[in-house]
Amino acid sequence: MSESADGVALATQGLAKRYGPRVALDGLDLRVPTGVVYGFLGPNGAGKTTTMRILTGLIRPDAGRVEVLGRPFGRGDRRRLFEVGALIESPSFYPFLSGRENLRALAATGAPTSRSRVDELLSLVNLQDRAGDKVSGYSLGMKQRLGIAGALLSDPRLLLLDEPANGLDPAGIAGMRDTLRALAAAGKTVFVSSHILWEVQQLADVVGIVAQGRLVREGPIEDLLRAEGTVRVRVAPDQVPTAGPALEAVAGAGAVTVEHGPEAGWLDVRIDPERAAELNRSLAGAGVYASRIEVGTTLEALFLELTGTSPDLGGAAGSAASGGAAPDGPRWQA
Amino acid sequence: MRLLRSNLGKLRRRPASWVTLLLLVGLLALIILLVTVASRSASDPEAKLAGTLFLTFPGAYELILSMVMGIGGLLAVTYGAAIAGSEWGWGTLKAAVARGESRIAFTLLNYASVAIYTWIGIVLAFLAGLLISMLGATISGIGLNGLGDRDALLRLPELFGRAGLAMAMNAALGFAIATVARSQLAGIGVGIGVFFAEGIAGVFAPDLIKWFPFAASSAVFTGGSSLGGGGGGAGGGGGFGASLDPQTAIVVVAAWLVASLAVAAIWTERAEISG
Repeated sequence: MSESADGVALATQGLAKRYGPRVALDGLDLRVPTGVVYGFLGPNGAGKTTTMRILTGLIRPDAGRVEVLGRPFGRGDRRRLFEVGALIESPSFYPFLSGRENLRALAATGAPTSRSRVDELLSLVNLQDRAGDKVSGYSLGMKQRLGIAGALLSDPRLLLLDEPANGLDPAGIAGMRDTLRALAAAGKTVFVSSHILWEVQQLADVVGIVAQGRLVREGPIEDLLRAEGTVRVRVAPDQVPTAGPALEAVAGAGAVTVEHGPEAGWLDVRIDPERAAELNRSLAGAGVYASRIEVGTTLEALFLELTGTSPDLGGAAGSAASGGAAPDGPRWQA
Repeated sequence: MRLLRSNLGKLRRRPASWVTLLLLVGLLALIILLVTVASRSASDPEAKLAGTLFLTFPGAYELILSMVMGIGGLLAVTYGAAIAGSEWGWGTLKAAVARGESRIAFTLLNYASVAIYTWIGIVLAFLAGLLISMLGATISGIGLNGLGDRDALLRLPELFGRAGLAMAMNAALGFAIATVARSQLAGIGVGIGVFFAEGIAGVFAPDLIKWFPFAASSAVFTGGSSLGGGGGGAGGGGGFGASLDPQTAIVVVAAWLVASLAVAAIWTERAEISG
């Protein structure tokens, strides 16, 4: 079986799901190209995990269509999942078994998997030294790494990861990013659900942003950020009161947003990036000299704008993925 | 077969398997010990005689197996519930389904491994009870001549078959309850509750309760014989004179077994798996 002729590894159309009176998905349309890392973004409760559950056959949609690896996926198509690896929500293990035994138990389900694959993956996620220890003694990050190894067991062509960076330390996140990038480079498709934006921005080729169960934006990440037409200007914090009006004189009233806190001194200007030089000239005319000018926007700014959410204390640390299921791919650092 | 092999390996490593077996053997040993000691100090000749039943072969064979069933019935319910419920609670069912495993196959093979370990548990507990009885007989100066009684030995396979069926049904019942509850604790709690509720209800409505699972399972083995009290345990009407005849009980127990597994399998197949 191969992906569809137009190179789409995963697609949904009009996907809908309700839990009682609560609408989880409200006509979700996704289109995930083959061979990319796709960042599936949305605030808490936006429908990301519900989508993941539908894509892995754990729950059934109320309406809509799903295509997995080029063919319709629904009831009775469980064997399609032999080519899909998934980590949905928190990793699931038998606490009384070791990491190696857990992977072997998982390998006994679904697609046939060789015993050697288990040790290859334990090595890949840098758990080979703890593979004989009971999972009940693992840290959250170790369980997460073991969960990702479990998702890679059948060398899947499509990998679905729900918040894979949960609990990983910085080295673990970097290792995972390398692994997932290597997978995409090898032609596999990686679908990563996350609400941790800076990590997705480093990892993903394409993003889809959902809010209230609907897709609000989808496309290559660079195109989306460029299209938003933002220029970020850095000046000395005490010059912000002067710089703001100078920038508004070019971009128009209300087009300038002043950053506060650790980002103090940054001003975001909504304007065609091609006009960045005009902004610089206007600043110089007001006696202000920019120390940095950046074109484009951040994924976080785009996300907050599209989802209508506001910055949340404590909601910031990163997520996402990277990787290489190939046994000779990059190894994660301890 | 790889899934069944894997399940058997998992249960071998699972503390609940060993704890359940040790509990069964421990309780069995304690009962034999207490009955023996109490009967030796009793002044009533009938009580003295009852105490020697556990130590006198070949009759002790059937009595030990009856005790294993009586104690093991409740333990089988809790064991089945623990295994089924934990697959939901730990999310391991979710992981298997997400890999494309058949929900029905996963459920039934999981139960099959529970049933196999239940049967192994019966045999091991019986052997332990046998050793304890032989030891008790030796200490009490009771001869072991009956150990090699040919008729009794030839009847053992049939008795084990009946006990195995009854215990497998008990385990299936706990398994099904925990599957519906999606929780091992809820499954164990409800299973124990049903076990004792049936026993109590058997006092008031024995003709109805004799068709219920625990009463029927005790009748499979004892069928109103003189050993009914031991085999019946807390379960239902077996000890109240209104038990089914053994052959009918086999059919009823088999029906409960199939119904329990059907409920577990269909429930798992249709369930929305989350968490």
